[in-house]
Amino acid sequence: MGVASHDTYLHRESVIHRWSPRLKLVSLLVLMFAFATVRQPILIPWMLGLAAGLYLLSGLPLAFLGQRLSYPGLFILALVVLLPLTVGDTVLGQWGWLTLRQEGLEATLLIVGRFLSILTLGFILLGTTPFLTLLQAMRSLGLPTILADMTLLSYRYLFEIAAMLATMQQAMGLRGFGQGRQRWLRVNSQALQQLAMLAGNLLIRSYEQSERVYKAMRLRGYGYGVKRPKPSPADQPSPLSWGLAGGVVAAAVGLVVAEGLLRP
Amino acid sequence: MHIPDGILPAQVCAAGYAITGLATWYSLRQINRRPDPTAEIPKASLLTAAFFVASSIYIPVPPASVHLILNGLLGVMLGYFAFPAILIGLFFQALVIGHGGITTLGVNAAMMGIPAMLAYHIFQSRNTLGKVLTEPTRTGLFAFLGGTLGLGIAALIFLALIIFNIPAELDAGAERAAILALSIAHVPLALIEGLFTAMLVLFVRRVKPELLEG
Repeated sequence: MGVASHDTYLHRESVIHRWSPRLKLVSLLVLMFAFATVRQPILIPWMLGLAAGLYLLSGLPLAFLGQRLSYPGLFILALVVLLPLTVGDTVLGQWGWLTLRQEGLEATLLIVGRFLSILTLGFILLGTTPFLTLLQAMRSLGLPTILADMTLLSYRYLFEIAAMLATMQQAMGLRGFGQGRQRWLRVNSQALQQLAMLAGNLLIRSYEQSERVYKAMRLRGYGYGVKRPKPSPADQPSPLSWGLAGGVVAAAVGLVVAEGLLRP
Repeated sequence: MHIPDGILPAQVCAAGYAITGLATWYSLRQINRRPDPTAEIPKASLLTAAFFVASSIYIPVPPASVHLILNGLLGVMLGYFAFPAILIGLFFQALVIGHGGITTLGVNAAMMGIPAMLAYHIFQSRNTLGKVLTEPTRTGLFAFLGGTLGLGIAALIFLALIIFNIPAELDAGAERAAILALSIAHVPLALIEGLFTAMLVLFVRRVKPELLEG
């Protein structure tokens, strides 16, 4: 797991950026679930087209998507790479011991198509909405206070703790950790013990920091039931936001209906 | 061991969200019953971030390396906060690095969070079931069981979900063989996770025992 070191929000002047966060979150989630229902290969281009259209509207650069897709893309590739060669009876082509099968190829295209479309929507959501705004939107949609506070605090300290681990690992490396001769397919119990202590130290330092954080939060009034301000009329979604939400939800319903009609 | 978007049908994703909703509600209810739940939020939050970061530690198994899931350890140390912590960790992973998925967030959270809660109960039972054992054997053994079973059960759920939801054309014999092979491959990983959990818990017990009181 790699820990990103910055917010993935990219500021642009697009309609998707101006879209009310609450409506954007709900509409894009509905569309993601509609994508997950797709089983007919004929709907793959529609699904990809919708995701690409929204991405274009968002004004995010293609490099942003390429950069973000590379890691999960490799993972999905590793999962589906054997399907076209092993699944199904209808042979499309044969090269020596390699046989390309239609059913496996269709399954692969469906999985990859759904994956790309859903992930693109996720990156649109994150790339056009600052993380804290997204969290506020979730809070206003009923996310429990404990979950919202935990998410906020974890996010606040995530990168600090990641930097702490990097420093500790560097110190271990400088003291010779991992330099010894290692035997193949064997877990070195001493190395395991040292790594367990590394993780333990990280947890203890975080715990101690959390005690200081809690005291500071109490001094600032945390836990005394301070009322959240009511949303002002300026926070109400604009007609453009409602229009976008209506369009996206209609597309989602259209996909689900088409899937139902096309299913044999 | 995250199920990405696009693999599972929408019905399974929705069922995952329903189970996660229920498990989150149950966890929050248990948390709210404590004398001062807000006092524990900063601790649980920073430990959530620390667990998320610690899962990037690789254990060298030459010529490769394995990375830990730590869901069992989360259960052992965070108790009822483990499920929300896992949900938040997976949410970060899905949004920030695209690992896992948004439609599969519910399934992934249930897959890792429910075994974590089980690990918590296994570890807590050291004071009843493990009465005959002396310290620190008792703590080490129950931490090992929590870590091993936490990952083991999550791996079984993961494999079953993947195998049963990938192509209908795959014959039953191949399915069974794949489940068996992949399950066997996960046994050493579960044991490494259990050992790591036991070592870490024993270290924390010596240095900061109050961390194990949750």
